[in-house]
Amino acid sequence: MNLKRLLSLTRVGIMSSLQFRLGTFVTLFANLIYLVLVYYLWKAIYASSGTDVVNGMTFSDTMIYLILATALFNFLENFVVWDMSRSIQSGKIALDLLKPMRFRKYTFWSYTGNHVVQFVLTFIPTFIIVMIVTKGAINLGLNLLWFIIATVLALVINYNIEMMVAPICLFTESTWGINIVKETIVLLLSGASIPLAFFPEKARMIVQYLPFRAVYDIPLSMLLGKSGSDTWQGLVSLFGLQLIWLAVLTIAGNIFWNCAVKKVTVNGG
Amino acid sequence: MRKRGLGFYAGIYRKILIQDLKSKMSYRADFIISTIGMIMTNLAGFVTFMILFHNFPTINGWDYHHMLFLYGFSLVALTPVQCFFDNNWNLRFQVYSGDFIKYCFRPINVFFYFISEVFDVKGLGQLAFGIGTIVYAWIKIGIPLTPLVIAKLIVFLLTASLFMIALMNFAAATCFWLKGSGYVMVIMFRFKDFAKYPASIFQGIFSVIFTFIIPIAFIAYYPSLVILTPDNVPLLSWISPLFGILFFYLSYKFWMLGVRKYDFTGS
Amino acid sequence: MNGLTGNEAVVMKNVCKDFKVLNRHEGLKGSIRDLFSRDYKTVSAVKDVSMTVNRGEIIGYLGPNGAGKSTTIKMMTGVLEPTSGEILVNGKVPYKNRTENCENIGVVFGQRSQLWWALPLVESFKLLRDIYMVPQKDYEGMIELYRSLVDLESILHKPVRQMSLGQRTLSDILAAFIHNPPVVFLDEPTIGLDVSMKAKIRELILGLNKEKNTTVILTTHDMGDVDALCRRIVIIDKGMKIYDNDIDHLKNYFGSYRTLKLKLADDTWEEMLIDEKTTDVMDVIMARQKETKIKDVKILEISTEDVIKKIYEGSSK
Repeated sequence: MNLKRLLSLTRVGIMSSLQFRLGTFVTLFANLIYLVLVYYLWKAIYASSGTDVVNGMTFSDTMIYLILATALFNFLENFVVWDMSRSIQSGKIALDLLKPMRFRKYTFWSYTGNHVVQFVLTFIPTFIIVMIVTKGAINLGLNLLWFIIATVLALVINYNIEMMVAPICLFTESTWGINIVKETIVLLLSGASIPLAFFPEKARMIVQYLPFRAVYDIPLSMLLGKSGSDTWQGLVSLFGLQLIWLAVLTIAGNIFWNCAVKKVTVNGG
Repeated sequence: MRKRGLGFYAGIYRKILIQDLKSKMSYRADFIISTIGMIMTNLAGFVTFMILFHNFPTINGWDYHHMLFLYGFSLVALTPVQCFFDNNWNLRFQVYSGDFIKYCFRPINVFFYFISEVFDVKGLGQLAFGIGTIVYAWIKIGIPLTPLVIAKLIVFLLTASLFMIALMNFAAATCFWLKGSGYVMVIMFRFKDFAKYPASIFQGIFSVIFTFIIPIAFIAYYPSLVILTPDNVPLLSWISPLFGILFFYLSYKFWMLGVRKYDFTGS
Repeated sequence: MNGLTGNEAVVMKNVCKDFKVLNRHEGLKGSIRDLFSRDYKTVSAVKDVSMTVNRGEIIGYLGPNGAGKSTTIKMMTGVLEPTSGEILVNGKVPYKNRTENCENIGVVFGQRSQLWWALPLVESFKLLRDIYMVPQKDYEGMIELYRSLVDLESILHKPVRQMSLGQRTLSDILAAFIHNPPVVFLDEPTIGLDVSMKAKIRELILGLNKEKNTTVILTTHDMGDVDALCRRIVIIDKGMKIYDNDIDHLKNYFGSYRTLKLKLADDTWEEMLIDEKTTDVMDVIMARQKETKIKDVKILEISTEDVIKKIYEGSSK
């Protein structure tokens, strides 16, 4: 499989995302509104608490964390589960499986175009706004590089989580149910809806070793220089955690997917 | 032409509902998975709430139990949109694929026909969860239990639901104009998570926006004040039922305008 | 509209329909440019089409893909408003009285089922009975008629989602007739079906048309449908009506054409269309025989399909 062919999938993905022109602007606008909501909520929360630092997070730390988590969420979001369930229900899955490329690979690269567009249209503007509003509270150095590497790893881990969940659609038509369970677990345990720093001590101990953290918390911690990512040892252990989960989920996902495909072939699609 | 009034539509809806429930019973696995999903989202919402209060004892002068009441109120108010208007989530797929056209071939209201097609039982789990939360907070706060208060509660819960339904109608109908409008619905649905916080946290222009343009403040805050602070109810709370009806009506008109404007070029 | 006899089911007069579409540019750069572009162009899907369909007629509405067939049907069903011109269906303007128009028409759109997916067919029928306010007696009469035309028992209690494509199409057609509408639109009703199912569907349509004197407007690509069902065809291409006459007239017009099939030495068949008015078939055979060995000869009447092809070719010249 040469890279050129894979990148052409990315290119087509970018083009089809841009087709939805007005939708793109609305998305941008809706995101801004969402950020305003997050801002007012946490401003009120910190104002009522009486102290400036809670669990090692200042108001601006929390804000930056949550805003970037939202931006990251939009960037990482894909509709693998929905798309797969529709293609299973319509029987299109049989055609997809015939494509001259391994299905998991094909789907992944087809989504990359959308991810690129989302990154440019939502993540970068959000990042710039955060930089301006906080007057440069984010340190711009090597941490940017670590963040980008961690984000790419997060993208692949997230995709693997999706691909673990999606084949369940072969067994049930309740796509909504599957998707909501996945999303809820990922958002809560990854620290996307509330920073992991706020979790009670015991809960934090457990969540720390789960794969979900590798999707949101680790890249963001690296960007903000938290969770020990400002030391080499911390950095190595965070990347190590990501890589371990990446390997485990890729292998498990592969096995799971192959079993599921067997079921499709047995049922005749 | 023969008249099709409210009674006609109620009759049709009842029949579709019964048939739909019958067929759902034959897909137990789907039902169980959806129910688990519903319980999980509610638990996750609750856990987030608890973690928040674990770190911060009050929010904008609201203590734990008052916040809990608001939380339960918002859960109950969200039930109708889940149970009865869930098909809005399918709208854009049907519009893009061209399948939507089938709703235009029957001599009944298109919005009704489309919405009536799906009834979602799993929303009932959320209802139970919400009622439980309200009852618990009710006892802890010590609100007196009189028939009048109960009547008020029901009226204002329905009011709150109208706002949420209307918001989702608006969001869903954008797909008639915008390709790729799925995200509008997703984010609108996420906005609702902020309904469970006191709207007094918003300031300036945003207080106006979240009250009158994207009326998150009406999904729980204003209607619930009628119960929570009976001695000091703002005017906006009292007129919220009228405002809710108006908002719902506008969203319906917007939805129907979308149907008219759409050129059904989907293949 | 003037000059109507009262026997018309559908009347179209100088109907046009334009769409506004964005001029899209190619490539990645083009996609980015399109984000901000206001460069619209007008596309005429239907240009100045007039026609009249009488009660009880089955007409074939034909044309290549993208010719404007579906747009016309959508205007007749009241879903789209014509840009200009007049349409009357059962004496009413469809777009202005969509609900009222829907009471008097039935629609089947190829592979798109309009039935309740999860419900057994009989429950869909009952819901439609209520929606169209069909009196119970008429409803029962219709079901009786269906029983006499098709094997109803095998599908009546089956949920639509479990049906084969053929059964689903059959069900959709039955559902479209349940309120006994004066006009029924069938858009590609036999698409994707096997030969025996196609025959069943055609028989059903003929039977219903005969029993109920229903006007049927049929779009199809299948000439078998046309031969079996239609007395008259209307052909549209690039939005314009290019033919509207009896199917017999069509055959007369091209009656002098013959399809000549020659089996050559290598057992392949060679096919050619010959106009007997200008060329003698025997001359062609003789001339060809001088060049190669001919094992077998067949002379056929021109098929409808070839006729239509001829007309398409004529219009695009």
